[in-house]
Amino acid sequence: MMTPANRLDPKQLLTRKSFIELSARERAKALLDEGTYRELLGPFERLESPWLPMQGVVPQSDDGLIVARGTLSGKDAAILAIEGRFQGGSTGEVSGAKIAAALELAQHDAENGWPVQVLLLLETGGVRLQEANLGLEAIAEINSSMVALREHVPVVGVISGMVGCFGGMAITAALCSYLIMTRQGRLGLNGPEVIEEQSGIEEFDSSDRQLIWAVNGGEQRYAAGFVDDLVEDDVKLIRERVIEAFGRGVPCRHRSEQVEDYLERLATIDVTHQLEIRHFGRLWSKRVLS
Amino acid sequence: MRNGRLPKGAHLRSSWSTRRQKKAERIAAARNFADGQILAQETIVQALETLVLPGDRVAIEGNNQKQADFLSRALAQADSQKLHDLHLLISSVSRPEHLDLFEHGIARKIDFAYAGPQSLRMAQLLEDRRLEIGAIHTYVELYARMFIDLIPNVALVCAAQGDRQGNLFTGPNTEDTPTIVEAAGFSSGIVIAQVNEIVDELPRVDIPGSWVDYVVKADRPFAIEPLFTRDPRHIHEVNILMAMMVIRGIYERHGVLSLNHGVGFDTAAIELLLPTYAGSLGLKGKICRHWALNPHPTLIPAIETGWVESVHCFGSELGMEEYLAARSDLFFTGRDGSLRSNRVLAQLAGQYGIDLFIGSTLQMDGDANSSTVTLGRLAGFGGAPNMGHDPHGRRHASPAWLSLIKGNSDVARGKKLVVQMLETYQKGGVPAFVESLDAVKVGRDAGMPIAPIMIYGDDVTHVVTEEGVAYLYKAIDLGERRSALAAIAGVTPVGLRHDPKRTEKLRRDGLVAFPEDLGIHPVEAKRSLLAAKSIEDLVAWSGGLYKPPARFRSW
Repeated sequence: MMTPANRLDPKQLLTRKSFIELSARERAKALLDEGTYRELLGPFERLESPWLPMQGVVPQSDDGLIVARGTLSGKDAAILAIEGRFQGGSTGEVSGAKIAAALELAQHDAENGWPVQVLLLLETGGVRLQEANLGLEAIAEINSSMVALREHVPVVGVISGMVGCFGGMAITAALCSYLIMTRQGRLGLNGPEVIEEQSGIEEFDSSDRQLIWAVNGGEQRYAAGFVDDLVEDDVKLIRERVIEAFGRGVPCRHRSEQVEDYLERLATIDVTHQLEIRHFGRLWSKRVLS
Repeated sequence: MRNGRLPKGAHLRSSWSTRRQKKAERIAAARNFADGQILAQETIVQALETLVLPGDRVAIEGNNQKQADFLSRALAQADSQKLHDLHLLISSVSRPEHLDLFEHGIARKIDFAYAGPQSLRMAQLLEDRRLEIGAIHTYVELYARMFIDLIPNVALVCAAQGDRQGNLFTGPNTEDTPTIVEAAGFSSGIVIAQVNEIVDELPRVDIPGSWVDYVVKADRPFAIEPLFTRDPRHIHEVNILMAMMVIRGIYERHGVLSLNHGVGFDTAAIELLLPTYAGSLGLKGKICRHWALNPHPTLIPAIETGWVESVHCFGSELGMEEYLAARSDLFFTGRDGSLRSNRVLAQLAGQYGIDLFIGSTLQMDGDANSSTVTLGRLAGFGGAPNMGHDPHGRRHASPAWLSLIKGNSDVARGKKLVVQMLETYQKGGVPAFVESLDAVKVGRDAGMPIAPIMIYGDDVTHVVTEEGVAYLYKAIDLGERRSALAAIAGVTPVGLRHDPKRTEKLRRDGLVAFPEDLGIHPVEAKRSLLAAKSIEDLVAWSGGLYKPPARFRSW
């Protein structure tokens, strides 16, 4: 659980390092063992989205996705870090292919007796709308690779914010062996603006920050058992928790495999009454499930 | 009157207390709406129709922060057959009903200081001739005139709590209430206070009951806006670079001990660099000890690291109440423990008591005149001009004030530092330095006697942009002043006038400093220098005492 930042003294407050503040590349660097970071398919390979310029959007030479290799706590690791500041971290053809290929490579390595710890740093609104079907296809590939890979090695996901993790990539997050969030992070299938647009402001007011975080925020997701760890926005703490998660190994049953349990829980909910957010944690809590 | 006659030329006046008599008549007429000093909430509109008369000057408490919105909403419902031609005195026109009063024909004229949220509609009503402007004031000016030639007949104010004797407790947001009540209450005006609740015992008395005629319980707590909260997440690296230049090039150089910060991301960046960057320069205790300031949440880290010795507040800030109460060594607090603010005294302090004022502006011309008035808006100035000028009535010296003396006359005097910050280009690629301020056109179009300038160029001592600092006070003539400003105005129309050779000379003479002249490398201007990078960080710094409003929470 969380260390209350309110109890830190000024010196600790001045020296701690925010993870949210960092770019995707800086995040990957900050988590890997010092001096071990190297990037695959980096910006100098110029793997850019061919679709964005056609729509008047300036592409980025890494398509907003960093594939980093190195070691984490001395063990081989690969980090797939999404850059939330580029196109909202959206998954396009190129960035999606980079993720899928890296997962497949890790699966291949694992099957050949060379386990690599795979960490996803999720900061994404989901499929990149400008690349529609290609982005969707990429997410399908990513998710099937996730299912295959996680049999061999644990796959850990971190949702730190401030973009959050939405859309198709929220499914990817749900497929992780272990998921770690900050309270600033958000996780949900449809983003607040999408819900408001589809169902009206009475259903979901996307400008009501308190409501949004009460539904999608890290604290709620942790209370409801959809994530395994809630951590302060602090590089050192997040690194510790990631290492700890890998140390737990492959879970005997992934959350996404507990279909029967979830269905059972759904069946017990009285849908004749409007559900209140504050009751949600109790209805879905991890303790009930395990 | 030796022989029982009046001296020649003297007039017979039947009474010298007509105002008092008229007040008594109004109060008698309203007896059905009142139980002692308590007005009934349900009949407030009729009560106002009785207590206020056509043509009255009515001061409505519309402050920068809190608003007597129950009373202003009720006044806007009055019958314009009964109530018309009112002359409103409102320091900050913030509520839609302030202008409904003009649309409904209840009010005719207004004297005000600031109209931020309603500035667009105000300009429209003026154009449609539904509204007359007496003058656009600064806060202190408007209050000053309430005691001279704009004495209110009626004051509509707000407080947190009241008792049956009319005593008022304002809580941390005392703001303008005592001043408005004094102006009306001691000139036989009618004072009506809306309160959130009527109680038997008040935590403290901010305004004595004998100054107040009526108390009415509002339908909901008075409206209040968190105007001084800036989320550190939105501070970018240009703000930080400029903040570093201010700390090195101005605060350190002049030894600025007492100051006021305008609200904005530029000044928020300075506040958040004190514990980090300024700390690394060894400036703790040497700068920024005494403040006239609203309780900016971004000041929390500087307070917690011991930079700040005292803060006098214009008003409070939503969410800061518990934190302020827990830091009573620094803030003015009542016996009940909560903050006591006072806008007029803080403005006075900000005018006379401090070494430096610094604020951001939107537009500046080649002579350093600046304004936040833009086309189609009548926003006014609030309090910035009170602090953003050199008060010639100042007589006490301080090292910073003395450091601005030029020449060696026997009767030389110092100068208050008036610093303006602005990026050379605003969002959307609009140059911030212009040939002629929008304010000039706005003033002309609105038929104002003078252009609505916020800070006059001749009051500005320093200008800071991302390019550097111009030490305008050092200029020997207008030409040199303009050249110094042009040197830091980037590629704007004003900046393009600069002559590189002249700029080099100005740098050597110390009229212009670029970041490297101050030992600052622009690449060092990183967000990692901010002592708090988010509202969450500010909460952590406050030990959980700061409770930010929901709109600032990302958790």
